[in-house]
Amino acid sequence: MNSNTTRVVAGIVIVVVAVVLFVVLRDDGESASEKSDQATAPAGSTNTADNTVTKPEITTIVIKNGKPVGGIAELSYNEGEQVRFKVDSDVSDEVHMHGYDIMKDVEAGGSVTFDFPATIEGIFEAELEDRGEQILELTVNP
Amino acid sequence: MSFFLPLAHALVARKDLPIPAWLFAWGASIVLIVSFFALSAAWRKPRLEEERWRPLDERFSRALLGMPLQVLLGAIGVFLLGFSIYAGLSGTEAPDRNFALTFLFVTAWLGFPLFSVIFGDVFRPFNPWRAVGRLIGGAFTLVAGQRPAHLEYPERLGRWPAAVTLLAVVWLEVVYGASGGVAVGLSPDTAGMAALIYSLFTLMMMALFGVEKWCERGEVFSVYFGMFSQLGSFGVKDGRLGRRMPLTASTHWATVPGSAAVVIASIATTSFDGAQEGALQDAIVQTFEWFADAGLSLTTSLRLADTIFMLICFVGVGLVYLIGVRGMGTVRGAPPLSQLRSGFAHTLIPIAFAYLVAHYFSLFVFQEQAQFTYLLSDPLGTATTDLFGTASGGIDFKLLSANAIWYVQVGALVIGHVLGLTLAHDRAVSYWGDYRQAARSQYWMLAVMVAFTCFGLYLLSSGNG
Repeated sequence: MNSNTTRVVAGIVIVVVAVVLFVVLRDDGESASEKSDQATAPAGSTNTADNTVTKPEITTIVIKNGKPVGGIAELSYNEGEQVRFKVDSDVSDEVHMHGYDIMKDVEAGGSVTFDFPATIEGIFEAELEDRGEQILELTVNP
Repeated sequence: MSFFLPLAHALVARKDLPIPAWLFAWGASIVLIVSFFALSAAWRKPRLEEERWRPLDERFSRALLGMPLQVLLGAIGVFLLGFSIYAGLSGTEAPDRNFALTFLFVTAWLGFPLFSVIFGDVFRPFNPWRAVGRLIGGAFTLVAGQRPAHLEYPERLGRWPAAVTLLAVVWLEVVYGASGGVAVGLSPDTAGMAALIYSLFTLMMMALFGVEKWCERGEVFSVYFGMFSQLGSFGVKDGRLGRRMPLTASTHWATVPGSAAVVIASIATTSFDGAQEGALQDAIVQTFEWFADAGLSLTTSLRLADTIFMLICFVGVGLVYLIGVRGMGTVRGAPPLSQLRSGFAHTLIPIAFAYLVAHYFSLFVFQEQAQFTYLLSDPLGTATTDLFGTASGGIDFKLLSANAIWYVQVGALVIGHVLGLTLAHDRAVSYWGDYRQAARSQYWMLAVMVAFTCFGLYLLSSGNG
């Protein structure tokens, strides 16, 4: 009984280890290709594509009546990349990029540009500080 | 989704990245390997039922349990509670800039479980309500010349009052606080008022049933932190400090009715907080919209939807445990179900602790930096005080990398799983006597533990609020 149990357990262990190795190895392949995908096509929208031969694309978050058009924008970068986005606002407020703690004032009808390196990993929000309105969810992967 | 901003979010403005798929698979595989290994190689005689109590040197007991230090620690507890209420009621309404929220819901609520596991029941001497209650009781005895008379505590209730209050505390934190449409979370004012109301309630109950009795049964913080202290080595017995085998004290903890409800409430509320922005978000949004369409205000709809799902979590976690108990009851030679029900509740304590670590570890590390810099020097958030010269300090989010957080999260769940299995196996061997029947009963508890641990991993992988 005892040696049987040991054998069964050993068998299960081997199967599980094999599955683990498979998953780990396969996933490494996937994430490597994901990385290269993101490197060749930087995150951003396509609305400024025609005049960006030298400069990388930049996402624009449009604020109408104090709310982001199309809901909260989502940006995703890998650590070390440069985060770039622009806020076009129809209200005057302060844009606060939490976590990185960058604050920039924006006037009604004006715009403000953020450009900083993604040094902190995690998920962060940017909001219109006075209104307490979230406009962006920034994800920085390791 | 600016409707969904639980407290953690409002304070730190940073969320953990979900654990990657490979780590999820890796963690779950280790859990399965460990579980099968435990079944085949485990011991055949109970080893954890005896505490093997060894008192520490008399001088430690005299110094740490003596009147002067007890009075001092009690006074510190009362001061910190009073100050939190004051800061909450009269400080800034910005949650992240007010001492009250971080101190009550992060430093104390998350810190005491951690320190209780390491050092024993450290909350007891600091417990502000116990300190005040004892002071009033002592004064009464002095004036009236006799000890205050108390009502008999209805023992059938057991720890149920604590379980219900535990749900209420977390409800206040993550449901009531997530007020609709405004990115504020629980306001310091509300937290201060809640602390005040709870204080009055607790002192009244202590007057009715006696200070120590209420601390053992109904005072949620004593019961909840005390539960975690059962895992560690240090404790007090007959007025003396001593050491015991780790985990052993927990084997006698759940004999009081309602204890299972306390530990289940802990697992359920942590799950809910983790799931409301990930696994449960869609379902909550649907329920919320349903209420909103029915004409309720946005805030009310959100609170109702959250409340319903929090209760569903409580019932769900409870059902999983009860199914495990039922299953064990079918194994030959099983003790009655009521004995099984309370007899295995303590095996969930390590899981509850693992859930806490997995979900709040990064929040605790980051927010404690705020606690000891600007919240200490400028507790009211008025930007006019700088008591210790640290008011301009901040949180260094680079302190923990995403990888470090992931490994702590998964590591905590796996270790909690192993400790839970250890306790369950030991209890089974003691109940069944016969090793083989005990092992058979443990297929059921194994399924329960694997369910909880894999659910915990799943929550981490699907976005952790």
